[in-house]
Amino acid sequence: MATSPSGDLILLVHESIDADALVRHVRTGADGAIVTFDGCVRNQSHGRRTLYLDYEAYESMALAKMGEIAAEVHIKFPIDHIAIAHRLGRLEIGETSVFIAVSAPHRAAAFDACRHAIDTLKRSVPIWKKEYFEDGAVWADGELPPVPQDTQARKRAS
Amino acid sequence: MLAARCAAGYNSLVSSVAPSIRVKVLFFGRLKEIAGGTEEFVEVTFGSRIEDLFASFVARRPELARYRASLVASRNQEFAAWSTPLDSGDEIAFLPPVSGG
Repeated sequence: MATSPSGDLILLVHESIDADALVRHVRTGADGAIVTFDGCVRNQSHGRRTLYLDYEAYESMALAKMGEIAAEVHIKFPIDHIAIAHRLGRLEIGETSVFIAVSAPHRAAAFDACRHAIDTLKRSVPIWKKEYFEDGAVWADGELPPVPQDTQARKRAS
Repeated sequence: MLAARCAAGYNSLVSSVAPSIRVKVLFFGRLKEIAGGTEEFVEVTFGSRIEDLFASFVARRPELARYRASLVASRNQEFAAWSTPLDSGDEIAFLPPVSGG
């Protein structure tokens, strides 16, 4: 768990995500809007019935990358606070795997920041899910995060 | 007996031409299952790059080779290019496509 100087909240948890607590965390008197995203476990994948999911993370890096997302949305959008929580371990159908809450004086920034945060998380935070079906299990198809192509060149340039 | 031990020590010193460095290597997702573990400390030759480190694992577990194009590496919790040189004490991870959310 990490609370940044800006009052943001970044969490990886192994039990149920307390969504109400995240919303309370971002709510202040200066805000006219709170937008939340509740990512939950779907009962099928490509037509196959899902039994449950198992999430794992490179925890130290995942927390760092989630913190970077929070910092980035503050730069891009006029928001007040953001809270991001991701759950790890076994999750049953319908349970929340990721929850994001964003507060802002005006709703447009809160919507945009929340969308940007979940889209970036799915692309760049080192978390993986394994899908369990009646006839086996597979690691879910994912996205390859963008990587600096040549760190030597960057070092020489700086 | 003592002389023999000293001689062995001397020989082992002069034969180690290239100095080595020690790095921590992490595997996640399906790579963890193929590599046979989550975490390992390995010695690599000074001057090795992330690419060379991965190649040393491929030498031990050839089935890793086919994942080379569909994974990324990180060095000390930052995504890193394959050409990144290794330093002693680095934490290197090999990461399959991420699927959080």
